[in-house]
Amino acid sequence: MSSLNFINPFGVRDDPGTVVGDFYTDNFERNARPGTVILNLGPQHPSTHGVLRVLAEMDGEYVVRAEPVLGYLHRMHEKMAEVKTPWQFIPNTGRVDYLHPISWNWAYAGAVEQLAGLTVPPRAEYLRVISCELNRISSHLLWWGAFVMDLGGVTPILYAFEERETINDILQIITGSRLTMSYFRFGGVSSDIDARFIKLTKDFIPYLRERLKMYTGLVTDNVILRRRVEGVGPMSVDLCQRYGATGPILRAAGLARDTRRDIPYGVYPKLEFPIPTGPSDDCFGRYMMRLKEIETSLTIIEQALAQLPSGPYMMEKAPKATFKLPKGETYFAVEGARGQVGVHIVSDGGKSPYRIKLRAPGFSNLSLFAEAAKGTLLADALAILGSLDLVIPEVDR
Amino acid sequence: MLRALWDNVKGIYSLLVGMSITWGFLFSPRKTVHYPRQVVDSEILKSYRGPLELIPDQAGATKCISCQMCVRACPDNCLKVVKSEGGKNPKTWIYDFSLCCLCAACVESCPAGAIRFSHKVYLVTKTREELKLDLLADLKARKSAILGNVPKKSS
Repeated sequence: MSSLNFINPFGVRDDPGTVVGDFYTDNFERNARPGTVILNLGPQHPSTHGVLRVLAEMDGEYVVRAEPVLGYLHRMHEKMAEVKTPWQFIPNTGRVDYLHPISWNWAYAGAVEQLAGLTVPPRAEYLRVISCELNRISSHLLWWGAFVMDLGGVTPILYAFEERETINDILQIITGSRLTMSYFRFGGVSSDIDARFIKLTKDFIPYLRERLKMYTGLVTDNVILRRRVEGVGPMSVDLCQRYGATGPILRAAGLARDTRRDIPYGVYPKLEFPIPTGPSDDCFGRYMMRLKEIETSLTIIEQALAQLPSGPYMMEKAPKATFKLPKGETYFAVEGARGQVGVHIVSDGGKSPYRIKLRAPGFSNLSLFAEAAKGTLLADALAILGSLDLVIPEVDR
Repeated sequence: MLRALWDNVKGIYSLLVGMSITWGFLFSPRKTVHYPRQVVDSEILKSYRGPLELIPDQAGATKCISCQMCVRACPDNCLKVVKSEGGKNPKTWIYDFSLCCLCAACVESCPAGAIRFSHKVYLVTKTREELKLDLLADLKARKSAILGNVPKKSS
């Protein structure tokens, strides 16, 4: 009873019906074992990447139960899609996931094109691949820095930002922004690449390959990191599939599932690239997986630049801002940096779509945290949380 | 026992490798821009999207025909264009930069090609009201600045 007193400053709860904390804490506390401490991580905790809140029941240093609480960054993107015209929703897609906005651009533009039956010119398809893969690299680089920072190494994120800023410079030439890009249009992309873009990208590819070798020396082979992540937080393929986790997490567990290969879209079938599966299903496996994916993306960009055809970057008679969706229903999925990004559109032929469902990979990936964190040390639970590559705006949408 | 020792030796070696990399970076040139003393490369600013500005025609007047396409396209309702009486040209052209998301919907939907993004990176205001920009006045100011410069250059 004394421990309960410690948790609850308002005294021992006599009537189980009274609410003492907020709704989540109250429900969570009800099933607590005697002698455990309820720890509230977040929503303003530096290692929860934004405003994620995790309720954890602690027995000493061990996590007995953990439960993520969501909704602190809910911005009603799905509702806004029902109010705005299809064109007006494009800038929103860049803001769902600020680290890989171009994949969301693609999922939405692709869904609209599929529903309206628009064909994208080949040059635009290649530009989409190049921009999307560059953006994927920048997303993984930031994750790399942030994950190592979660584990206590503050220096690497500054090195990662050097490359990330170079990618931002490159992407700014075509998208006009360094974050929350909205580059895709229905039936093409908003601008063409120029000689400077091609030169910077071609210089960047060998430069990043050199830097990845440096990353190995600085972080990957580092004994402190190895002991923090090796064997921590194993997630089997079965666990991932039960929660619908996709992307690097599932591939690190050993299942080669990639939307780019399984449900081909764009010009990915014309490009040759491996779908790497991770060395192990623990945090270290997921770490290595993302570094491998950066290399895969570099190969894809090289091929796409070599194959880049000439022609228009926008289809003829492309939809204007007053474009209306035809009646119908469609689902379009692309591979984002965190997993399968999907957009489900239901349209009744009106000015704006009837309903849009955004399938965020981060939401499914976070769901398995409750099960994966059971019985681990608190420090290991935070390593697991970091290895999931969460972007809270995307989880909450 | 030997194995544990060997692991420690390897661990210390990996730390030394990491330290040598960070020491190398300590003596490498600075990558950031010290803002008040230095400014970013103007090549980067070419694609920067600053607040909107009207494109002048050859006489220095606006090309806008007040068709309201940009107002209808805007996702944030940040534009206000009022037609002048008995003419195509706009009477007022108010642009609220505090609401704008810089998505280029207006620029792409303009049939007359009358608007573009400026490259003003260093725009700073003290109040929100100052971010409500009157683009016609801005155009006039730019025109007079150009006209004012011409005699100076010739003299």
